[in-house]
Amino acid sequence: MAKAGQAIGSGSASGAQSGPAVLVSGLHKTVAVGFRRRKVEILKGVDLVVHHNEVFGLLGPNGAGKTTTVKIALGLMRPTAGTVRLGVEGLGRVGYLPENPYFYDYLSGQEFLDFCARLFGLDGDVRRERVEQLLRDVGLEAAARVHLRKYSKGMLQRVGIAQALVNDPELVLLDEPMTGLDPVGRVEVKRIIERLHERGKTVMFNSHILSDVHELCSRIAIMRGGRVVWQGAVAEALDEVPSLEDFFMKVVTA
Amino acid sequence: MNQVVAIAVNTFKETIRDRVLAVIVVFALLMIAGGLWLGSISLGEQGRMMKDFGLVAVTGFGLIVAVFVAAGLVHKEVEKRTVYVLFSKPVSRVAFISGKFAGLCATMAVVLVGMALFLFALVWIVDGEPSGMVLVAVLMVYVQLLAIMAVTIFFSTLGSAILASVLGICVFVAGQLSQNVLALTRLGKNPVTEALSWVIYVIIPNLAAVDVKAGVVGEQTLAWGQIGLWTLYLLAYVMVVLALAALVFRRKEF
Repeated sequence: MAKAGQAIGSGSASGAQSGPAVLVSGLHKTVAVGFRRRKVEILKGVDLVVHHNEVFGLLGPNGAGKTTTVKIALGLMRPTAGTVRLGVEGLGRVGYLPENPYFYDYLSGQEFLDFCARLFGLDGDVRRERVEQLLRDVGLEAAARVHLRKYSKGMLQRVGIAQALVNDPELVLLDEPMTGLDPVGRVEVKRIIERLHERGKTVMFNSHILSDVHELCSRIAIMRGGRVVWQGAVAEALDEVPSLEDFFMKVVTA
Repeated sequence: MNQVVAIAVNTFKETIRDRVLAVIVVFALLMIAGGLWLGSISLGEQGRMMKDFGLVAVTGFGLIVAVFVAAGLVHKEVEKRTVYVLFSKPVSRVAFISGKFAGLCATMAVVLVGMALFLFALVWIVDGEPSGMVLVAVLMVYVQLLAIMAVTIFFSTLGSAILASVLGICVFVAGQLSQNVLALTRLGKNPVTEALSWVIYVIIPNLAAVDVKAGVVGEQTLAWGQIGLWTLYLLAYVMVVLALAALVFRRKEF
């Protein structure tokens, strides 16, 4: 198992599938802000479990700590206390789409994906085939040789999803994957997530679009003020109220 | 190593296609060509004026490219959050800094080769014979700029791109003067100023030691053995500064 802030990728093949796909325990994060370096606690003891081969939704209002939790899981930030364990063999088996992704202006979509594939050490024909397949999957075949600075927000989002899948990851973390997409793009991304689920992958995503979460996720967690205030099955949430929106409002305003 | 090459190739493509670079190079070529006019009013010293002015123009514009591109290289990745995409993959910070520097070295090589060949052709036209020393002088400008690029990348890991550019230019100027300042303070016999200039001499790369412009125009006899040793010193300096930059960058959170 890989542990955030420590040697991600040190896990063994046998151990990789034995625990949950993501296990967050007592995660705290304090950052210093402003000129006087005032300490602000943005995570106040997050506990979270994501199982293998499930589509998991991480919900919460802005500033709840969703993105910070994911960043710590990926080693982009260090935890002040607590641990994140990824049940895969290191970052080589993880795919990540950041929120509002920005990429290199003067590279084409095809060049950018090829670059990402090289970072994972994919060689020659495998790399070319993977890149072409992904461009088809996200509907960017026609724009493959266009520079990214000429892409619309939706196209950037699609190329972002493609780069997150270039290594055929076991665990896919998507931060607001539907943002900026038109209805057709949203449907396509939902199909991609469904296909990943069918292929046995684990998908965890943050979203404010609760209808998408309802449609795709088997389990969810709701964060508020740096803590997970509720986690469980979507069906369980809908036992109490008619819609996920109602349940979400009930939890975050409680 | 493959990752370093992938990042270097990506950096090269990104920087060489930047339109701002093309504009700077066009201005540089116009400035070099301005040596023809200066030569025409210099009464029998056309060849010398062409070389002198041309090499100064190559150095000046090379410096502009070095500091402004190097300063933006790392900072832009952080600012525009492309680092999220890179460091969520199994890419080390050392590979990132090394790849960025290598890519910039390739871009700078292309820019300087273009300017050097243009100057070489103009000197040939004015003098009536080719001067290989012009090419050697530009090669030594390249060695100087390698040190400036490394220093600017180091500063950009600490602060803003503008600050890194300004400090890069300051180091270039100080590097041209530090040798002379040390010699002058030794004449003054003041131990405090001598110690201070010694510290500056050690910290700042001694760029003047590999400057062969005066030799090219016949004002000075060049000691190639010493120039070779100083070149090795500057290359070692580059390695140390890049190692420091990687060390600073390893501590960063995104």
